Amino acid sequence: MRKIRLSLALSCSLIVLSLVLMSFVQEKKPWDIPAKYQSMDNPQGADDAEMIKVGKINYSRHCKSCHGNMGKGDGPKARSIDVDLGDFTTADFQAQKDGVIYFQSFIGRDEMPNFEKKIPDDEDRWAIVTYIRTLKK
Amino acid sequence: MKKLIYLVVLVLFSGHFVLAQEDEQTEKKVDKPVRSPWESGTLVNHHTSVTQYKNTLEMVISHRFGTIENGISDVFGIMAPGANIRIGFNYSVLDDLVVGFGTNSQKKYQDFQAKYTLFKQTRENTIPVSLTFYGNAAIDGREDAVFGIDYEFSDRMSYFSEVIVGRKVNDWLSVQASANFTHYNSVDSLLDNDKIGIGLGGRIKFSPQSSLTLELGVPLKIESISQHTSFTNHPKPHFSIGYEVSTSTHAFQIFLTNGMGILPQELYMHNLSEFDSESIRFGFNITRLWNF
Repeated sequence: MRKIRLSLALSCSLIVLSLVLMSFVQEKKPWDIPAKYQSMDNPQGADDAEMIKVGKINYSRHCKSCHGNMGKGDGPKARSIDVDLGDFTTADFQAQKDGVIYFQSFIGRDEMPNFEKKIPDDEDRWAIVTYIRTLKK
Repeated sequence: MKKLIYLVVLVLFSGHFVLAQEDEQTEKKVDKPVRSPWESGTLVNHHTSVTQYKNTLEMVISHRFGTIENGISDVFGIMAPGANIRIGFNYSVLDDLVVGFGTNSQKKYQDFQAKYTLFKQTRENTIPVSLTFYGNAAIDGREDAVFGIDYEFSDRMSYFSEVIVGRKVNDWLSVQASANFTHYNSVDSLLDNDKIGIGLGGRIKFSPQSSLTLELGVPLKIESISQHTSFTNHPKPHFSIGYEVSTSTHAFQIFLTNGMGILPQELYMHNLSEFDSESIRFGFNITRLWNF
């Protein structure tokens, strides 16, 4: 009887621990980026002033409320979101390929919405990526 | 039992599911429509050339408060009785075609509308302006007695049609002008059933999300379409000045205006308020988008 109780207690503890660990895993789980996007390059130049301007306007409208003015994940809506919003200013984020940022921004996952219908124009999408590149420290 | 519990624990420790979405990218080439000539399809009371992408549902909440003449006692009309409210839904059947329905507290109007942008101004200026057609039909929902003797259902109907020409002049300035026609099946004996009007609108964008909006509607005195030898209670022009901010899913507009009406035909046919300290009122429009 004692052994059964011990086993039950141990199993319950393991279940609770696994749930806690899984929540951490969900918050920082790696992105599964399809090969097509891995090989995508931004057709716009990094110093394209016109596209940076377009990107800034679209970023302000669609992204700023969650990701913050500078992309640090500190927008007004960030508090109500459980997942890691990322920090666009970090070297790790900026080291990602253009197509990866594109996928993360417009295909999204979980609490990161899909923006394909809201921003259907490809030039506008890449303009946002171009602008996000300017947020690096 | 033990083995079952351990199995459950193992499953919980095991991997998780990841869903990835892929979609085909299509590139648009050549000259494209200008970006965001207006923040939404509504500029205070008039419509703009903007139509949302196909399969977008838009909800529009419009509110006109009481006049500011009583000052702080009714918080400049915000707490005053006699406000006018409209709740409407528009759906983009095509990228350039929108249909909608709205219900109003004023005269219990039930309105049905459609808007079509025939062509849009392009970035390379190969097409210098946008051309939009807007029309609605509204049913006055008040009791039969309002329409006098010999009441017929058609007495309730009013119609509004408009041709709008708009241009995004530069990054911070957009303007539009319109010619419109209003018809009421039933009006007071001293009024005309028809009215032609001119509309003007402008947006001055001063930040990525914020704009100053201006709108003027002028009903014209045209004797050739008048049923009377003189104009009685000819409607006054309606003018609005406001502030607009837009986000990914919303547009918020707050403004001062002299017209209580929300439906354009009400303003062009029945507005008797001047733009002065006794007649102006606050109002707001909120739009919300859902993409399907």
